[in-house]
Amino acid sequence: MALRPHWKGYLKLSLVTCPVQMMPATSENEKVRFHTLNRETQNRVVSHYVDSVTGKEVKDEDEVKGYQRGEYEYVILEDEELESIALDSTKTIDIEVFAPRDGVDWIWLDTPYYLSPDDPVGQEAFSVIRDAMAAENMVGISRLVISRRERAVMLEPRGKGIVLWTLRYGDEVRDAETYFERVDDQPADREMMPLVQQLIKKQTQHWSPKMVSDPVQDKLLDIIDAKKKQMKKPSRTTSKSKEKQEPAPSNVINIMDALRKSVEAENRPGRR
Amino acid sequence: MVAPRANWKGYIKFGEVAFPVALYTAASSSERIAFNTLNRKTGNRVRREFVDSETGDPVEREDQVKGFEIEDGRYVVLEPDEVAAAIPNSDKTLTVEAFIPCDEVDDVYFDKPYYLAPDKLGGDAYKLLRDGMKKAKVAAIARTVLFRRLRTVLIRPHGNGLVGSTLNYDYEVRSSQKAFEEMPDLKIEGEMLELAKHIINTKKGEFDPKQFDDRYEEAVAELVKAKIEGRTLPKKKAPPASKPSDLLQALRESAGMSAPAKNKRTAANANAGKARQKAARATSAKSRGTGAAQHRRAS
Repeated sequence: MALRPHWKGYLKLSLVTCPVQMMPATSENEKVRFHTLNRETQNRVVSHYVDSVTGKEVKDEDEVKGYQRGEYEYVILEDEELESIALDSTKTIDIEVFAPRDGVDWIWLDTPYYLSPDDPVGQEAFSVIRDAMAAENMVGISRLVISRRERAVMLEPRGKGIVLWTLRYGDEVRDAETYFERVDDQPADREMMPLVQQLIKKQTQHWSPKMVSDPVQDKLLDIIDAKKKQMKKPSRTTSKSKEKQEPAPSNVINIMDALRKSVEAENRPGRR
Repeated sequence: MVAPRANWKGYIKFGEVAFPVALYTAASSSERIAFNTLNRKTGNRVRREFVDSETGDPVEREDQVKGFEIEDGRYVVLEPDEVAAAIPNSDKTLTVEAFIPCDEVDDVYFDKPYYLAPDKLGGDAYKLLRDGMKKAKVAAIARTVLFRRLRTVLIRPHGNGLVGSTLNYDYEVRSSQKAFEEMPDLKIEGEMLELAKHIINTKKGEFDPKQFDDRYEEAVAELVKAKIEGRTLPKKKAPPASKPSDLLQALRESAGMSAPAKNKRTAANANAGKARQKAARATSAKSRGTGAAQHRRAS
């Protein structure tokens, strides 16, 4: 299935410019999608817009954006007018700064997009920018207007393309110190560290997308399947298993014991 | 400062070690400019209404149910308690299932970050996990029922503490390989690569979130003002794309290796000036510290 690009524009490094397209790296397409139904008629429920004064239905083509100026005063803004807004960052990703990748902490990453050339004519210029960033182990920092906000963005080479991340604003990330106040400045117990290291080593695996499977979605699909089979007799029983017990917190004295047990458990044959 | 409220309280368990933690939102998103939807014909605001697609009658909230379409127009109805039954009971424990090397973490899966702070007497085990992961350069993969869904959380050391990022599900992330598969395999080498590397190094800096401010709202206000005064803003011209035949020359000029071609002089100068200005702004913003963030709020 061909994917519709989310945005089209230009990628620019100094005097080098190439047409690019961008699409979100995440998608809701594969998620179990529900429709809203009217319980009584089992018909679909649809939403439409009505005029708040006359109560009459408003057709799609009559819907327009309004910028509020006074309590009841609006200035109508057509999409084409918004296109002509006086910001280069609506159309062009001009890379202003390059930074080492590890200089941008994960906590700033907001939403990922895939960026690729939009026209064969730009493929070489795109590749030059990508390969030079990869060779220097740098990421590009720029600005881009997405969904009516101008965002800081980070460009990182990935395979043949580039991942573009919107970055959070400075005041969107809360100050970590407030939350970690209760953590004292002493390092962890040195005696126990070798055991922790051993445990970590034994449990270290390669990353796999299997780690982010969604059993709830699978279960929902099972429920739907079961209901589909017995559409005629809609009786169903749900048996809730008993509330699982919370683990007892390990206190200081028995952390060592618990760690030893953990390592022993890892050593038992039959574990991966 | 008022103590922030925890979004969730529970335990982290690695091996046989468990300790209590509280989870807090680490990032909030600031609001974007809000437009109202109007009826072009009357200039009035519009409001949303939910109606039955067949009868056209309004449908109240309590009469709306979830339906899964099994074939054209036929639905399996799921009541809220049936959906809830699909979610496992919560044991309130982020159980570490594996550690993965930090350089294998695929950040495209990242959803939202949360601070994980030790709750009550969990400090010692908390620090063991934190320092153990730091030393081994790994992050932990843990799972629990969080916000009504069984979620995978990536836990990693962050300064003095731990941060947990919820991860998107496998089916929510598009494969980057697929996204880029139609691109030809172009490997850039030689002079072009050297020039581009040189340009990158002249623009070397660091990411300073405080120097970024959202100029969009201001620009919309400018647009509105122009419209009221009967002016139209000039249409934006697309920048000329570098043709493959000009690419090397453009790189040379960008790198300052050769005099710009005559017809490009203005563009080149304008750009060089802008870059210099921006670099200057970046350094001054850094020395000013919080200046830009305050500026954004003020504007």
